[in-house]
Amino acid sequence: MSLLEFFANHTYRMVFFGTMTIGLVSGALGSFAYLRKQSLVSDVVSHAALPGTLLAFLVAVTVFGVDGRNTVGLIIGAVIVGTIAVLFANGVANTTKIRIDSAMAVSLTLFFGAGMILMRVIANGEYPGKGGIQDYLFGNASVITTADLYTSVVTGGLAIVVMLVFWKEFALRTFDPGHASVLGFNGRTIDVLMFTTIVIAIVIGVKSVGLVLMVAFVVTPPAAARQWTTTLGSMVTLAGIFGAVGSGVGAYLSIAWGNVPTGPLIVLTLFALFVLSLLLSPRRSIVMTSLTRLRARKQLQHQLETTP
Amino acid sequence: MSFVVGTALLAAVTAVACSLPGVFVVLRKGSMLVDAIAHAVLPGIVVGYALTQNFDSPVLIIGSALAGLVVVLGTEWLGRTGLITGDAPQGLIFPALFSIGVILVSTNFANIHLDTHMVLAGDLNLAAYRQLEIGGISVGPQYLYVMIIVLLVNIVFLTLTYQKLKITTFDPEFASTLGIATKWVNTAFMFIVSVTVTTAFNAAGAVLIIALMVAPPATAYLLSNTLPMMLTLTVVVAVIGAFAGFGIAYFLNAATSAAMAVFYGLLFIVTVGVERLLRRRSQTRSNALMSLDRELS
Repeated sequence: MSLLEFFANHTYRMVFFGTMTIGLVSGALGSFAYLRKQSLVSDVVSHAALPGTLLAFLVAVTVFGVDGRNTVGLIIGAVIVGTIAVLFANGVANTTKIRIDSAMAVSLTLFFGAGMILMRVIANGEYPGKGGIQDYLFGNASVITTADLYTSVVTGGLAIVVMLVFWKEFALRTFDPGHASVLGFNGRTIDVLMFTTIVIAIVIGVKSVGLVLMVAFVVTPPAAARQWTTTLGSMVTLAGIFGAVGSGVGAYLSIAWGNVPTGPLIVLTLFALFVLSLLLSPRRSIVMTSLTRLRARKQLQHQLETTP
Repeated sequence: MSFVVGTALLAAVTAVACSLPGVFVVLRKGSMLVDAIAHAVLPGIVVGYALTQNFDSPVLIIGSALAGLVVVLGTEWLGRTGLITGDAPQGLIFPALFSIGVILVSTNFANIHLDTHMVLAGDLNLAAYRQLEIGGISVGPQYLYVMIIVLLVNIVFLTLTYQKLKITTFDPEFASTLGIATKWVNTAFMFIVSVTVTTAFNAAGAVLIIALMVAPPATAYLLSNTLPMMLTLTVVVAVIGAFAGFGIAYFLNAATSAAMAVFYGLLFIVTVGVERLLRRRSQTRSNALMSLDRELS
């Protein structure tokens, strides 16, 4: 398929730009989760987004009697419940002897289990517009509508703007939480704000990518970008670019090859980007470190042989 | 045996079989690793099925367990390179493997029955569907006996390696000085975890296995001071949660594993609350005793 044919098709355009937006936003904001060593929080959020979305759907249909598929409403529900899941996991880890990995696992399964029950409730009941809720499990990029695209651009843009406005606070809290408190920043407020932006980045992607694979959009681009950069600004920028390019390429390939699901192919493209970064980056890659080590060993040998 | 009793028993046996190794998973800070293993099982099952054309083959279980081990060893290797920080290594590997599984399913096996719900949440009723008959009398679901075998294997493994597991869990450095092959103990243990996850996959699905493996031990951990106490409480919590979850699912007409996960989660929250209350009370009591001491002296 030529590029011209590709971009002439409305659906393909939506898939391409929709997934690129998701890749850009989650890559950039995922950098903070990565640097705080809490990348897997994204897995908790993407699973908690399921009950959030379904609750928002149920409330919209039964309480307000409006169309349950309103994207903005669903996103708000998912963001609220996703943030609660993260705060619950962190709260348990901070106040009890349970460590963060177990706290995240319990939070993830509790919210996901609730989501599966809600899904059954909705499937058994008579609710208008309940079709398509299955998409949240494995994702379906081919149903991105123009309204979906605009909503993700606006909400994702909002999350990026919050990140830029609070750049100094986010950076300080990430690298030196103690110093941030000494300077008088309220750590808790910054944490909630930071995790909410990460939650937004994840939530806008779940329906297109699926809740299992969303974690790759948040973890892989920052891990790849980290191999090439040494400053926060360049890392966030490069992670965003990696996320967007990987998503665009993956989406294009999945359509050009036909019959290959988009989300998984994007994940594999991002993974390939990561492996290349790990192997080839000039400063800290596997190849470079082993070369440097070899050179140092030779030099030492040389010194030992030449000195009397 | 009636279908309901057989299925409830299957839920309980699966929960105990998962939560026993789960005790050491929680203590070794590997809870999210179970998540990664559970997802890596998918490509293992698909490739195994392509080779054997048989969903019940033991080769399938061993193959999938090896796929789980790939995640564990890959994660450890990535962490050791020092290039990836925090918990990112496992978040990098398992989505890639899961993607391979999904792509294989959708491009090659569009005709086999691999339901989306089934992969993520499992279906206990489907797992319990085929009954084992001896002399024309039903003695419960076939899968119940598969899980009983896994449970026995886990019990034997944990009994044999109990001392080594205990030392490598609580003080790995001391274990090395004693001459225990920490790395091999870890690999063998993670292989057992992988086998358990793979067999429980049918009943609980990729995501909710984590609930069975992590939630009961985490709840027990809050209330215990010793390892034997934690193991005992874990089994108690696992069994109570299995029957309660089964009952809730029966009542709501929902997936059993999902109801179990929610019940375990809620029980965990209640336990966190109770434990904090108890701690606060014992603190005020010891404070009162201390002030009494001061007044007396």
